[in-house]
Amino acid sequence: MRTRRVILTFALVTTVSTACGQGLLGGGSKEEEKGPILVGMDIPLSGDSAEIGPYMRNGAQLAVDEINGKGGVLGRKLQLRVEDDACDPRTAVAAANKLVSAGVKVSVSGYCSGATLPTLPIFDRARIPMIIPVANSAELPAQKLRHVFLINGTGDQQAAAAFRWLAKEGAKKVAVMHDNTSYSKDIAVRTATELDRSGAPDKSVLEAVTPKESDYSAAVTSVLKGNPDYIYWTGYYAEGGLLIRQFKQAGYKGRFLVGDGSVATKLAEIAGGKNAEGVYATMTPTPETLQGAESWKAAYKQKFNADPGPYSTQAYDGVRLAAEAVRKAGSTDGGKIVTALETMEGFTLFSGPLKFTPQHTITGGFEIQVVKDGRFVLKEKI
Amino acid sequence: MRLTKDTGPPVKPVRGRGDSALTRLLESRWLGWLGLALALAAPLVIATPYALNVMTSAAIFVMLAVGLNIVVGYCGLLDLGYAAFFAVGAYTSGVLATRLDVPLLATLPAVLAVTVVAGVVIGAPTLRLRSDYLAIVTLGFGEIIRIVATNLTVTGGPSGIYGIPGLFGDATSGAAVFYYVTVLIVAVAVLLAARLGRSRIGRAWRFIREDEDAAEAMGVHTYRTKLAAYVAGAVWGGMAGVLFGAHLSAISPASFTFLQSALVVMAVVLGGMGSTPGVVIGAVVISVVPELLRDLADYRFFAFGVLLIVVMILRPQGLWPHRSRETPHTAARSKGTDHAPG
Repeated sequence: MRTRRVILTFALVTTVSTACGQGLLGGGSKEEEKGPILVGMDIPLSGDSAEIGPYMRNGAQLAVDEINGKGGVLGRKLQLRVEDDACDPRTAVAAANKLVSAGVKVSVSGYCSGATLPTLPIFDRARIPMIIPVANSAELPAQKLRHVFLINGTGDQQAAAAFRWLAKEGAKKVAVMHDNTSYSKDIAVRTATELDRSGAPDKSVLEAVTPKESDYSAAVTSVLKGNPDYIYWTGYYAEGGLLIRQFKQAGYKGRFLVGDGSVATKLAEIAGGKNAEGVYATMTPTPETLQGAESWKAAYKQKFNADPGPYSTQAYDGVRLAAEAVRKAGSTDGGKIVTALETMEGFTLFSGPLKFTPQHTITGGFEIQVVKDGRFVLKEKI
Repeated sequence: MRLTKDTGPPVKPVRGRGDSALTRLLESRWLGWLGLALALAAPLVIATPYALNVMTSAAIFVMLAVGLNIVVGYCGLLDLGYAAFFAVGAYTSGVLATRLDVPLLATLPAVLAVTVVAGVVIGAPTLRLRSDYLAIVTLGFGEIIRIVATNLTVTGGPSGIYGIPGLFGDATSGAAVFYYVTVLIVAVAVLLAARLGRSRIGRAWRFIREDEDAAEAMGVHTYRTKLAAYVAGAVWGGMAGVLFGAHLSAISPASFTFLQSALVVMAVVLGGMGSTPGVVIGAVVISVVPELLRDLADYRFFAFGVLLIVVMILRPQGLWPHRSRETPHTAARSKGTDHAPG
């Protein structure tokens, strides 16, 4: 009798499923070609990097509104679809699948490299072009996926920029510090490898610290034993600010260089007083250091009643680039958009004119910034 | 020290009218089959990549929760570092599959061996401790495993391992196939765990949970029995790790944080400690509800937290608590060899 009940349930479920058309037995749903073109965005809105998400979402929304204001793409409007990846691989995979199920045509996704990595095959398999606005670990292009493009400078480019700057500054002994996250360690190890070459500044130590601690005196003492005259920190601003303060307190007289994760006004606030003045940074151009970005900043501020933050520009650029690629491809077909992206030339991003390398990364794009009155300003292009 | 419980027999007195229809249904032996049928039928209703992904994650989480239930639910050992075994399993199969090109299924014996060793190595020193101390030390071991994985080169450091093949070679099988295979494996794991709970050693585990000293006095080798529970939990966790790696195709230390351990404990407590159907439901709730709440965006985890608190206030014993009463079936079996009432 119970067996019969089970069979009955099965039959019932099967009937329902056929009616819904979303199940395995249902036919494929009809392609919607009339409505808005969905642009997916898989970024952290909760978890450790939650404060970055809104900056990116707003930047992307600004681009979507501008494009729609001009009549959209291919006669269709754009619509932004944001999902939270919490900077966690499992959540990111669920979010990516959700975007694919929602029928996005292009994805502008990825802040944390670790969470972005497992989402790449999902978009690639669904033949959805993916423009990664921020995440830039060297492992992302190393996957060699056809649909994946990076528009932020990669770790090896940043390391090269840091090395050129250190050599130019005449540094003698450099301590390279990272926080053991994928992105930070990648830059640190690459820089350290460059420094190990003969004729370059000496590497005194490659030191890792644990993020989110309040006392780094052990690391500070260990680094200072090597007597460095330059310290390169590749992690994020919270630990960066603390490290600068504690190095100054320990009597360190040399100079600092920080990576792009530390470029935030909070760095100077955490370092306290004048401690962060004169700290250099390897960074891609930000609205603050760009000429002619004032009107963009004003538009952003007017729309969201807040200042643009880190990576607002990259998200904005990512959406604009996606729209341009769709326009150039003349269709929302993944393969055609990829070809359009690969052959794209003369399209200007905040970081300069865009041209993808065969690895789907962009070239150059790093500059040196310096802290002046608590803010990062342009020092020079490098 | 209290050696015997004289607050009444643990067996609930059976009421005159007999079991209600609901109780009969809840204790039906067909319940597990019904659950399995539901799991197998779900993709017939909805099979979008997102739905399949959420359901696969939920199935893997069920396996984790059932494994931890052996340690926490049956044996009463509070393990706050369960993600360690999850990580050991995922990394062992991941490293073998990506660096030595071993098919994922062929890594299972190695995973089994490594998780058993890990269970013994971590369990042997920690299980000499009790209650709070055990919780703290397991928490420490959980972090140790994660930090070791972050710093070793063979585990790919902080970025972890990527490009893990699916269960049957590379990406040839679709998400639906993987879901079905996962459900079947998890179903076997749940069944085994439930049988284990009712076995001789399962009774020993529950005895230890109720009163360790009394168990020792009755001739149960408590240390060895506890270690057995711990190792069994480790094996379940390790196998779930293999599925996890195959599912995500990439693993990194970020997936094995303390939060992960805490969520598994939460699933066990929410469902009802020691109760297999309860723990399965708890795990499904813990892994699916955050996805259902996605539309709340910024308030997602706030809502999730409130929901958990509400459930804990309304049902402190868990959604489907374990009932330590004999079913008519087992009662009939033990009638012949009745012992003196205590």
